[in-house]
Amino acid sequence: MRNLFTCLLALFMLPFMAAGQQGRVSGKVTDAVASGGIPGVTVMVKGATTATQTDASGNYSIEAAAGDTLIFRSLGFAMQEIPVAGQTILNVVLEDEGTELEEVVVIGYGTQRQRDLTTAVATVKAADIAKTPTATAMQSLQGRVAGVQIVSNGAPGASPTVRLRGIGSFEGNAAPLYVVDGMFFDNIDFLNPNDIETISVLKDASASAIYGVRAGNGVVLIETKSGAYNKPGEIVYDAYYGIQNPQNVLKMANAQQFVQYINGTGSAADIALIQNAIQRYGRSRIDPSLPDVNTDWYNEIMSPAPIQNHNLSFSGGGESTRYSIGGSYFNQEGLLDLQRNNYRRLNFRVKVDSKVKDWLNVGGNFNVSTARQYNGENTAWFLAYFGVPILPVYDDGNASATPVKYANAQQIGYRSTQNPFFPLEYVDNRNHVAKLLGNFHAEVNVWENKLKFRTQYNYGLSFVNTRRVDFAYHDGVTNHQSAIRRRNTSNYDQVWDNFLTYNDDFGKHNLNVVLGQSYRSEYSELLFARGTAINPAPSRAAEQFWYLQNATDFDLNDIGDASDPDYNSINANLQFLSFFGRAAYNYDGRYLLYTTFRRDGNNKFQKTWGNFATVGAGWVLSEEDFFDVEGIDFLKFRASWGQLGNDAISPSVGLPTIEENNGAIDGTRVIGWRLNPTFDLITQWETTVEKNFGLDAQFLNNRLSLEADYFIRDTRNLAVTIVPPVFPSAERRSVGEIRNQGLELNLNWRDDLSEDFSYNIGGNIATLKNQVLGLGGASGLNAGTAEFRQRSIIGQPYQAFYGYEVTGVFDSQQEIQDTYNADFAAERSLVPGDLIFKDQNGDGIIDDQDRVVLGSYMPDFTWGANLGFRYKKLEFAALLQGQTGYNILNRKRGEMIFTNDTNIDADLATNLWTEGGGSSKNYPSASGLRRAWNQVMSSYFVEEGSYFRLQNVRLSYSFLGREINGVTWPEARVTLTAERPLTVFKYNGFNPEVANGVDREVYPIPAIYTLGVTIKL
Amino acid sequence: MKAIRNIQYGAMVFFGLLLGTSCSGLLDEPLENQQIAEGTDYTQTQNMVLMLYGAYNQLYDFGWEIYPSISVRGDDIDIGGRGDQPLFALADSFRYDRNFWAMNSAWTGLYGDLIYWQGAIEEIQKYQEAGANGTTAQQYIAEIKVLQGFEMLQLARMWGRILIPQSSEPSALLDVELSSFEEVMQYVSARMDEAIPLLPDMRPNQRSDVRGGVTRYTALAVKAIANLELKNYPAVAEATGQIISSGLFSLEPDFYHLFKLRGKLNNENLLELQYSDYGTATGTSNKYLWDFFGPTSWTPTRDGASGGWGFWEPSMKYIQFMLDRGERERLETTVIFTPDGITDVRNAYPNAPSWISNATPDGDVFNNSVRTKFYSGKHYLPSAMLTEGRTAYGENKNFTCIRYAEVLLMHAEALTSGATSSVMTADAAVNAVRNRVGLGPLSGVTLDQVLDEKFAEFAGEWGIRFYDVVRHDQTAELSYGGRTYDATTSRFYPYPLEQQDVLPQLREGN
Repeated sequence: MRNLFTCLLALFMLPFMAAGQQGRVSGKVTDAVASGGIPGVTVMVKGATTATQTDASGNYSIEAAAGDTLIFRSLGFAMQEIPVAGQTILNVVLEDEGTELEEVVVIGYGTQRQRDLTTAVATVKAADIAKTPTATAMQSLQGRVAGVQIVSNGAPGASPTVRLRGIGSFEGNAAPLYVVDGMFFDNIDFLNPNDIETISVLKDASASAIYGVRAGNGVVLIETKSGAYNKPGEIVYDAYYGIQNPQNVLKMANAQQFVQYINGTGSAADIALIQNAIQRYGRSRIDPSLPDVNTDWYNEIMSPAPIQNHNLSFSGGGESTRYSIGGSYFNQEGLLDLQRNNYRRLNFRVKVDSKVKDWLNVGGNFNVSTARQYNGENTAWFLAYFGVPILPVYDDGNASATPVKYANAQQIGYRSTQNPFFPLEYVDNRNHVAKLLGNFHAEVNVWENKLKFRTQYNYGLSFVNTRRVDFAYHDGVTNHQSAIRRRNTSNYDQVWDNFLTYNDDFGKHNLNVVLGQSYRSEYSELLFARGTAINPAPSRAAEQFWYLQNATDFDLNDIGDASDPDYNSINANLQFLSFFGRAAYNYDGRYLLYTTFRRDGNNKFQKTWGNFATVGAGWVLSEEDFFDVEGIDFLKFRASWGQLGNDAISPSVGLPTIEENNGAIDGTRVIGWRLNPTFDLITQWETTVEKNFGLDAQFLNNRLSLEADYFIRDTRNLAVTIVPPVFPSAERRSVGEIRNQGLELNLNWRDDLSEDFSYNIGGNIATLKNQVLGLGGASGLNAGTAEFRQRSIIGQPYQAFYGYEVTGVFDSQQEIQDTYNADFAAERSLVPGDLIFKDQNGDGIIDDQDRVVLGSYMPDFTWGANLGFRYKKLEFAALLQGQTGYNILNRKRGEMIFTNDTNIDADLATNLWTEGGGSSKNYPSASGLRRAWNQVMSSYFVEEGSYFRLQNVRLSYSFLGREINGVTWPEARVTLTAERPLTVFKYNGFNPEVANGVDREVYPIPAIYTLGVTIKL
Repeated sequence: MKAIRNIQYGAMVFFGLLLGTSCSGLLDEPLENQQIAEGTDYTQTQNMVLMLYGAYNQLYDFGWEIYPSISVRGDDIDIGGRGDQPLFALADSFRYDRNFWAMNSAWTGLYGDLIYWQGAIEEIQKYQEAGANGTTAQQYIAEIKVLQGFEMLQLARMWGRILIPQSSEPSALLDVELSSFEEVMQYVSARMDEAIPLLPDMRPNQRSDVRGGVTRYTALAVKAIANLELKNYPAVAEATGQIISSGLFSLEPDFYHLFKLRGKLNNENLLELQYSDYGTATGTSNKYLWDFFGPTSWTPTRDGASGGWGFWEPSMKYIQFMLDRGERERLETTVIFTPDGITDVRNAYPNAPSWISNATPDGDVFNNSVRTKFYSGKHYLPSAMLTEGRTAYGENKNFTCIRYAEVLLMHAEALTSGATSSVMTADAAVNAVRNRVGLGPLSGVTLDQVLDEKFAEFAGEWGIRFYDVVRHDQTAELSYGGRTYDATTSRFYPYPLEQQDVLPQLREGN
């Protein structure tokens, strides 16, 4: 560290000076059509950081030199550049543009005009982000950006899974890099969505190549809100309150359906259990063949829960300083009853910029986020599915159960307790999360607003303290000891960037060059311990005693600070050093060229240094003299090629290691060593090369806009596990290769029919083909579990479901004989009601050779559509989205292979194959469910996941500074939002969004209805 | 002029950027807490024993699926656990699925041990070269060879032709040819001969450094088993004779308690997997996963004690065999009855004695189960013997691998198969075992009587019964309860599919 500082101290010591007579320019910006003042127009000095915004009447005032050029920019208007030329009053009329082409887009280490881009960048603005009631901003991107797949997570405070253009890595969820005001993060769960100004998704390699070795999974740039110079202070209170309502609740078999199914199995032992239930809990008076119990477990454990957010911000600025200060409180309750299950987050932020000297601008940015999260015990969801409906919640006869007399299915003969109230009542999971982001930057105008030097130092601190408390209880059969496990992690990450930006115009030649250097480090610490037999025994009434110090014993196999066996994380001290550069050139706005280069060094892999480059070009055809096509206002073709790296994979030790193990020798715990001859050898980061071809166009007076992109993204040197001969643990090697390719289209129509009425309608679609191209010599690589095999096979999607193809259900012995070799059928004792597996190789028998790819959990096709209108002060917006062409493994139905005395879902129970005509050809018979033949991985378990969803509907009404009874009321807006009110799908589960495609115990995703209010002072 | 000066400053900045290159020393920071084998300081000779401890820990960390893979195929035991792991039930009926995960897991589990142990041997050699006591080093290596021998035996018993690893590097096996079943057994026997002179001359429980560790007699027992598989009966008689004549070993007088806490480090044990809850009510515990054998429903005398998964069901054939012999002690120790099981026994065997009960001698009551009719008594620890506060099934119980009774009966088997010995007669060996459970002596024992005795004595243990009937070509015994044993396909498992994918010689050798 010290070494670094001495090295870079020189940069700080360099003195700077700049020239230029300063004066003040003021004026009014008006609308060419409506001829009123336009509020909120950005006015900036070209090539400088000086900027301000017009006030409510369109007036502005800005510091500028006589030779400067002022830029006036506002959404929906054509940008204008006007030289000051010694004037002090400059009134400007802006022409309606109706296009976002002139908008400035945030790219890495700088900005670029939308129309000059040669890369694929999608920007989502504050207004759209705020539409979604959620803890994490990325959720609001669902359906809005083509090529970004968002898989929702319903648990309070949980982040969705985000995939940019498919899966380009076998590790770490392939999550993109988030750059928040220059700092690198793995996720942005700590940010208040309301504090975000823009989210820029750098979709192609050319756009993200400047982030080099971190950019392989895509980059998402987050700019937090800033104040504006010369803008009166503004206070904004923004809040919503709503209800989360479980939807698409899976129907489980009720007592009658369950008993009918059990009778169908013909299993005397199981039928006896029903009699046990009748004996213990009484006989139903309505149907004497049933017990007097009919428990709907989902109904018992789940109920609607509130969600709310309050946000207060102060922003504005004077001549030389601008600020944005705010705080927010977010609270989301979980759907689970009884157990503490919620997420609360308190955020504070300050962002200040100041022109200390006319050549120096310094600023700082702090964001403090503290959150407390009580995680629901996921086992409860699992048990609610499997709990038999003939078991009540409580059982007064369960005398030995303490402290609460919950019913225990073991007492009527079932293998497990089955009652989800045990984990709900007797487990408490708490996370305390604190994340701090500190940023300091200084920008020096080195030479006449053309050459600028910027240094920015970012520090990210995050602390996650988890505590799991298991209460002591007796379930009536088994006694359970209390335990506390605590796990604390601290992450100290820093990034220090220093770069020069050079901007110049030579006639029609426009040039922008960036040259810089960056240092980054990631340091993390971990400490965990588990104590047992807590004394006093933990109870919810006395949380003040929930400490490890009160443990009677410790579990020495569960104490550590180097690596955590449960979480696969290790302490880390990682160092990164980078150099980067960018050049963007355009000739007359017609011919665009773009290139970046980054050289990255690290101590994580055997290979230390790597280079990442990109080149891109664009041709704005509509700017050519010869181009004169009626109805086409703008047409640009662009193409790019870029290289990326992904270092977000576990490091590798690269050599055999000595590992510790332990065991009992004569009742004494003994630590021993063993030589592990296998090792991970990840020689380098994963490398991606992507080609992107795009088209941007505006038609019909800019009312219709089109963006299209086609990409081929090849990733090599993927860290994949290879199976060494005979050894139980796999080794990781940099030998995998995967391809993602697809087409993205974005079409939007927007029209203002009158001053009072405008509307917009649009949509986006994205296709994705994911294909494994190489595995270092192996033809396939197993994933999933042995019973529910997934396999990455060359030429097939990553981790595709792999098993037997079901073509129907056998109706007769004759059909069985006609289908398979007679000896085989006899040996397997096949009977009608068993599934028919396709004999792929036609050898008359079914064996591992007959397995085929049954589908992938990656959607082929995702789409979103938006619709909105504004009538006077009433605004309506709706967003629809959907995904098709993917599969979900219904692992819940698959659980039958391990335990078959549990409940099944109603659809299965009522559609089982039965003797005689007209029965199901999809499901086996009741007894067939329990035969090994039908339990192997087959298309019976792999279901279509496609869904259509009404994602977001929002109605808002604005009260603009109205005067009532002589009092001017503040500007206010009331909003009604329905998030995910409707989802339509065929899949037999709670929801069709399952991040890894395996649905075993997924937290339900609720519909959310909120009422919101915004007040501006 | 000013412009020129600013350009100069700009150049200085650029120079400063380049300066950063010299900071690349930062990139040499090592990864946290990774002990690279190459970096070991072998002159720290006190660490050598850690490799030996590690070797034993590796043995004790024995995956639950390995044991049933080794032992399920005999007519003494059925898999039980109905409705769970159906492919184990198929294996129990000699219908092998090469894609069954447990087979691959048993293969990699045992081979993994062999490789780790080879690594331990190589490391210990390095300590010796760096100055560690040679005798100690050689003893440690000999101990580890015995552990390797024991597991290599199991591998060959399951798969027949296997690869013999000679290196701690798994990929070295790519160049190794398959060895025949006989070659493996000869190899094991020869390795034991190498080890024997270097090992302590005592019972495992007499060792003070690693109590319960390998001794000369463990090596002799492994050698005897290998030669038994080779039908080299003189060598069996010789090896077992040495163990017997040492006079160090004795049968635990109480057969029932041999499989309870009294069996821990018992004078009868030649090799056992050691576990402990360290005498505390909660907290650290090293245990075998006994849950596999535990009841799905029971009424333990210790309220709140846990059950298990309901696997490992002694066969009705065995129960009837024992009832025919009029045995009680070994039957009651080996088999735990459920009410449904008792009904089945009485239906099949109307004269079944009245003592049969679903309560064990320690008072635990076993209830009916959907999964099994009978439970394995040898893998059961009475709930009352659990350390106060502990609830896991079988916790703190050791797992015996080789016991003196097996040595005695191997001796008898060798003698009745043509070998001679001056140490002990076949009659004496068999009668020692019978005497323990109160059975009268036999004279002039035949091979069949020895095999019956082994059946009665070792039911549910390490597949001893299966390998006995296969060796003596009495496989008709295995075709019972709907099973059909086919000598050409049933003796060995197919190589696991995942191993065939990485080892071409397995594909060819299949």
